[in-house]
Amino acid sequence: MSFALANTIGAVFAAPVRWLAASIDAPLRLWQRLTGKGGMIAFFLMPNIIVFGTFVIIPLFINFAYSVTGGNELFLTDRSFVGTQHFDRLLTCDNHFDPSSCRDDLFWTAVWNTARFVVVQVTTIAIVAMGTALILNSKIPARGFWRAVFFFPVLLSPVVVGLIWRWILQRQGLLNFVMIEMDLTPVNWLIERDWAFVAAVGVSVWAHVGFYALILLAGLQAIPRDLYEAAEMDGTRPARVFFRITLPLLWPNLLVVIVLALIRAVQIFDEVYVLTGGGPGTSTLYLTQYIYEIGFASILRNPGLASAASLMMGGVLIVLTLGQLGLQRWRDRA
Amino acid sequence: MGQIRLEGLYKRFGVHEVLTDINLEVDEGELCVFVGPSGCGKSTLLRQISGLDQPSEGKVFIDGKDVTRVSAADRGLAMVFQSYALYPHMTVRQNLAFGLQNMKMPRAEIDRRIADVSRMLEIEPLIARRPGQLSGGQRQRVAIGRAIVRDPTAFLLDEPLSNLDAELRVSMRAELAALHARLGATMIYVTHDQIEAMTLADRIVVLRLGRIEQVAAPLDLFDRPVNRFVAGFIGAPSMNFLSVADAAPLLGGGTPDGVAIVGVRPQHLVRAEKGLELCATLVEALGTETVIHGTLASGARLLATVAGHLKVAPGDRLTLGANPEQLHFFNANDQRVDAIA
Ligand SMILES: Nc1ncnc2c1ncn2[C@@H]1O[C@H](COP(=O)(O)OP(=O)(O)OP(=O)(O)O)[C@@H](O)[C@H]1O
Ligand SMILES: [Mg+2]
Repeated sequence: MSFALANTIGAVFAAPVRWLAASIDAPLRLWQRLTGKGGMIAFFLMPNIIVFGTFVIIPLFINFAYSVTGGNELFLTDRSFVGTQHFDRLLTCDNHFDPSSCRDDLFWTAVWNTARFVVVQVTTIAIVAMGTALILNSKIPARGFWRAVFFFPVLLSPVVVGLIWRWILQRQGLLNFVMIEMDLTPVNWLIERDWAFVAAVGVSVWAHVGFYALILLAGLQAIPRDLYEAAEMDGTRPARVFFRITLPLLWPNLLVVIVLALIRAVQIFDEVYVLTGGGPGTSTLYLTQYIYEIGFASILRNPGLASAASLMMGGVLIVLTLGQLGLQRWRDRA
Repeated sequence: MGQIRLEGLYKRFGVHEVLTDINLEVDEGELCVFVGPSGCGKSTLLRQISGLDQPSEGKVFIDGKDVTRVSAADRGLAMVFQSYALYPHMTVRQNLAFGLQNMKMPRAEIDRRIADVSRMLEIEPLIARRPGQLSGGQRQRVAIGRAIVRDPTAFLLDEPLSNLDAELRVSMRAELAALHARLGATMIYVTHDQIEAMTLADRIVVLRLGRIEQVAAPLDLFDRPVNRFVAGFIGAPSMNFLSVADAAPLLGGGTPDGVAIVGVRPQHLVRAEKGLELCATLVEALGTETVIHGTLASGARLLATVAGHLKVAPGDRLTLGANPEQLHFFNANDQRVDAIA
């Protein structure tokens, strides 16, 4: 019965497909006769190549062209060649650890802000994701519900995440309202430097940790139960079970989590931009925001400088991605 | 050391009762085998003894002490798992040492024990390898070694040989028997392979649907099964069960009171002048013996195993007799009825 129904539905949907296939049949045959097998391969790859090329490959080359040309014109033909001038400007510092000694102090502020953010955020993600996964893997009531709850923020658009938390954290936001009700002194979460950093890290962790917890949860569930029973027979204390059995067996998953989180942390932008706008001052200004503002948002936009900075960031990301690929290959072999 | 007693043990998972009123005493140094069909509760029973799981009712005693609420680690038992459960990221040496380190045993003592055990099990050359680099048989040895180094009061083994191929299983079976003789420790051994049970056991516990059907030495079990289930479960191929009417030609001197079913093992049927008239339907020549499937005049099926080669073809008729002492009698409730002496 249901099988027959499925067949009918299948036939209805198949009709237009069949019609489409029939209509391109003749031109395809002609194309094959003219170009042979290689031509057919090219034909089937074409849609992807067009999309990928338009939005990734070609922009990459254009980006490079921008980075070696000057002025604030947008059309390449209006721009003059300046060589490595932008790179020189970005890289010249008396002391690279002190942004105020650099020719482009904003860039180095963003670099060091990003570095600090990456270290703190990735560490936090690793620890929180681990803890979450361990809890979600244990026998708690309504386990499926909690798994969903932790994963939901991952489904939200970063802008929505930023907006939600701005409503909660701003001066007259939800959190301060609750604190006043409880007779606590309200805090300017997004205006005080340290709290703004904590908020940036905290919100981005909240938004992404469910995804990483899921990777770790899958790893935990792949560890055979009887290993834990053997450890129990052996009288192993819980801490030792964690450090000697769970952690080593989860290590490959944890490495993947760390590398993926690193790559995403370096690119951090939307949530924090909506949340703090990079402030107070430049205290939560990160690299992507720097590039965006220099290239598009500031009055004296400088696309060449932004392109140079983005190429340098791209270099870092390529190194991290290669690292991840290497890890994956190493893990598949082990 | 190593006497285990179970008193009125019940285990329920929700409404599902998996173990029902288990009473059993395993003596010091005994090798006791649990057999039964898949899902009858063998593993569950072993887990109650090990302390990995708590019974819903009843008590577990080790050496006279009530350990029902004692944790698995403090019961002094060691378990060998069907899947070996070796720690995959540790070397063989680390696997063997892990439990001893938990006890805060001095290093020298750990080294001494590992050296002893690896010599005994001939795994010395493997000591620096990881489980992934070992064959199935070698892993099994290491798993057994991990149990031995702890010098437990008793060993619990859950189908330890079922992941090995047939040949290796036979040789490991012999090694286990030798090991038991040498260690003299109490062992509880779960299997659904009745050959393993018959060859290894001092005593066999037959389980069905969470109940103990019979506890007896292997040959007693074979010779005097208490009911039709045990009679059919022990011995391969399984016993033939005939109605009294069908079996009449075998019953020279009549039957005891209340007999409803007569059992005869395929191996106990021999060609004779008079007896059961069998029409062969399928003949399996195995070389050492010939297995004949057939039907009686009433349509009842019968299996006979005759030693050596036998020139029989499907459709042939043959007459089979049996020694009256090798017949088994059961009443309408499938319980054994003893022949009149
Ligand atoms: N944790 C559990 N929750 C619910 N039911 C369980 C649980 N563990 C076992 N059972 C049930 O208990 C019964 C006995 O299981 P057990 O594993 O003891 O069988 P077994 O005799 O070891 O079988 P096998 O020879 O296949 O290993 C089965 O019906 C099984 O479904
Ligand atoms: Mg089992």
